[in-house]
Amino acid sequence: MSRGFNRLLDAVVRIDVREVAFESGARRYASSIGSGVILSADGLVLTNAHVASPRAVELSITLSNLERVSAKLVGWDHWTDLALLRIDVADAQRRGLKFAIAEFGDSAKLFPGQTVFAVGTPHGLTRTVTRGIISNNNRYFEDTNGVNGYETGAFNTWLQTDAAINPGNSGGPLVTEDGRVVGISSRGYLGANNLGFAIPSAIARRIVDGLVADGAITRSTIGLVPGALQDLENFYALALNTGVLINSVALGSPAARAGLRGGDILLAIDGVKVDGRFPEQLPPIQNLIANQPVGAKLRLTYKRGAQTAEVSVTTEKLESRVGEEWAFEKWGLSVRRVSRTFARENQLSSDNGVIVIGVQAGFPAEVAGLSRGDVITKINRQPVDALAVMQAAHAAFEAKPAPTLIEAQRDRRVSLYILKP
Amino acid sequence: MKRFRLFFAFWVVVASLRAADLPALWTERLKCVVAVEFFTETEVDRRPNVVFGVVVDTQGTIILPAAAIESRVVPAQLKEFKVYRPGDPASAAGVYLGQDALTGWHFVRVEERLRPLLVPITQFVAPGNATEPALAEEVWGIALRGKDEDFMPYFLQSRVALIQSLPQRTGIAQQEVAGPGLPVFNRDGGFVGLALSSFGQTFLQFSRADRGGSPTMLINVEESSVFHLTSEVLPYLARVPLNEFGRPLAWLGAYGFEPMDREVAAFLKLEAQSGAVVSEVLEGSPAEKAGMQARDIVLAIDGRSLPRFKPDRVVVSYVEREVERRAPGDALTLTVLRGTERVDVKVTLGDEPKLMREAARTYYERLGFTAREFVYGDAIARRLKVADTAGVVAHFVKGNSPVSVAGLRTDDWIKEIDGVEPKSFAEAAEKLAAIQADGARTEFVLLVGRGGETAVLRVKLK
Repeated sequence: MSRGFNRLLDAVVRIDVREVAFESGARRYASSIGSGVILSADGLVLTNAHVASPRAVELSITLSNLERVSAKLVGWDHWTDLALLRIDVADAQRRGLKFAIAEFGDSAKLFPGQTVFAVGTPHGLTRTVTRGIISNNNRYFEDTNGVNGYETGAFNTWLQTDAAINPGNSGGPLVTEDGRVVGISSRGYLGANNLGFAIPSAIARRIVDGLVADGAITRSTIGLVPGALQDLENFYALALNTGVLINSVALGSPAARAGLRGGDILLAIDGVKVDGRFPEQLPPIQNLIANQPVGAKLRLTYKRGAQTAEVSVTTEKLESRVGEEWAFEKWGLSVRRVSRTFARENQLSSDNGVIVIGVQAGFPAEVAGLSRGDVITKINRQPVDALAVMQAAHAAFEAKPAPTLIEAQRDRRVSLYILKP
Repeated sequence: MKRFRLFFAFWVVVASLRAADLPALWTERLKCVVAVEFFTETEVDRRPNVVFGVVVDTQGTIILPAAAIESRVVPAQLKEFKVYRPGDPASAAGVYLGQDALTGWHFVRVEERLRPLLVPITQFVAPGNATEPALAEEVWGIALRGKDEDFMPYFLQSRVALIQSLPQRTGIAQQEVAGPGLPVFNRDGGFVGLALSSFGQTFLQFSRADRGGSPTMLINVEESSVFHLTSEVLPYLARVPLNEFGRPLAWLGAYGFEPMDREVAAFLKLEAQSGAVVSEVLEGSPAEKAGMQARDIVLAIDGRSLPRFKPDRVVVSYVEREVERRAPGDALTLTVLRGTERVDVKVTLGDEPKLMREAARTYYERLGFTAREFVYGDAIARRLKVADTAGVVAHFVKGNSPVSVAGLRTDDWIKEIDGVEPKSFAEAAEKLAAIQADGARTEFVLLVGRGGETAVLRVKLK
């Protein structure tokens, strides 16, 4: 193999993760294994968001020389399934540990049929190299809970490869023969043979820069859910290759407030024509909106029936449907903050409150009758507008157990419950 | 010795009298029960139904239990009512009069020819009718076999195991005591209750041959062990509906009453009574006009505290029945707990907005679905402002039909037809009829809403 390839092998690491989960009414810890690739001399490691997330409490990196060193999360972006870690470089230097640095290649130049290699730790088998070809260089798939329950895939397309990608390969690099990183292996189809997917390096580079600068990727949204036009152009009397179908509009979103609705055809954003005939054309259109600063005014040209109209929409910050999680162990109750997206999707009157994501049998929450999916809106008659309200009540209960009144909503029904000591 | 013999002779007489009178009571009381057959005609089929009823007056009025007719079925789909006397294959025609909102009973009236042969249940009310059956008291009732056996009557007997307020006074017998909708009597032949359409006695049937297999669950729907006591029957026999839909219907417009358990009641210092949490107050409703708010806790109605029921859930139907027993225009004072404050809400009950079963509907055979008028309840179910709504609802979608293949599902909200938003049901119906009639048409497009999502469906017509 090339010298570049050998150096790449020394830049691939195994990542051992210990992370906390709240679902069971208590804090539970679980371990998992992933792969990563070292990007810089100051110890940046790129991996998948589904490997290293803010839930990780311990990140341990095994370098190619089998030495272990700890790392911290710099930031993550579940939309592109990427996370950035930083090795404890001071410790590595003290111990005289050396590591190589990988270089990015240009994913835009890949062609179907080109040979690529996946390097990683499938099923814990450190430094495994598999070989395949690029099967498709522009695959679209979106998943509303693909990254440990978080949304993914709306803003990028994926490289598809037949290089074997197994659990544990996640976060490892997909490289060309000269050892340049053209993708980050992310997922494979279960039950299929050699249908693996990787995030293209062109996307990964942008995300790395953003995470280094801000620790997070900020995107704008107006609440449009686009759909591919496929063969509906005739029905909408559209010129060839124009417009994208607005499949639905999130309730209460800026687009909904501006009067847009499902079935409208979006023709242009700020005068830039959009063409969304096929699904893989949707991420660039999504990015036209997402890359705007939050609060930017967009001019949308759309068609409804025979009419073409323009409307001005102000963007807001894109947020995940998944809110912050917590476990109240004395109550045996795990909760998740109601996010703006969740509140809109479930037509809640406000985004106050927490969703019950787990109860532990025999503990006060379960005994009171609370169950998964209930939305707690008040505790001791105080609105739960922050997790801190619940935390304060729990601290009070811990210090001096007393009956605690909970108001919760199940579907559209409001009920009262008592958490009894 | 002579004295003993006398006593013995007396005892024998009483015993034989008692043994003799039950068959007589039975024969006499058979005249107040009937079997009612009718057809439910849907878009694609016609199903026969057989239910049991009891005669309530000399005008040939018969009441059927609430569950006799599925709630999704509308009066226009009910056809060919026929009334049979037990054991008699001859039938007489009946007319469906409608459903009463409070009791849920369906009323049917039989043609004049049969009326002289029937006896109303009121004939068998024991004098005074004040007493409820006692616990452990012997009760018996009538059940009927199927149509193939000429609705042959048979005898059931049991003892009262439990009497509860649910919130109606309800007797539960040890085992099945009558066919659902049929009367229950005491040992003297006095009417003591009307059997409900069963709590569904279930039996698990295990196979000897297939030991590993899962058991089959059998539900006895032909007999019931549960009955409403006469205090829940006799006062309401005259509630013959004025129309098929049982209007006028009183409307409060507070949705989703939720009960509270003992712990919550104690926390709110309501030990002796119960309360019901209001989940939502509906747009434009009498409750909204009266200033009722979501999350109010109803404590009293017209000054009477809500009683404590076992189980707690029963308080919900108690509150609902308090509304249903009143008429539009009636005033009602609800005492509610709002935060920590008691507030009196004076409501003037309104008229229930048009119900789904009253909505206009049309079936389009070639397209494969029934379009139904969008009514108030549809807006509420979808959390829409009533003023913002247009379009129609897919009430029925035929399997493998063009719209079904295109992805239309029952209860989908059709917002646009061929890119045009219909302003009324008539407009939508006209448009759909035109599409159906146009043999040259190869496709049309529906804009459909389902759970907040909107989708464009392209329907291919062959």
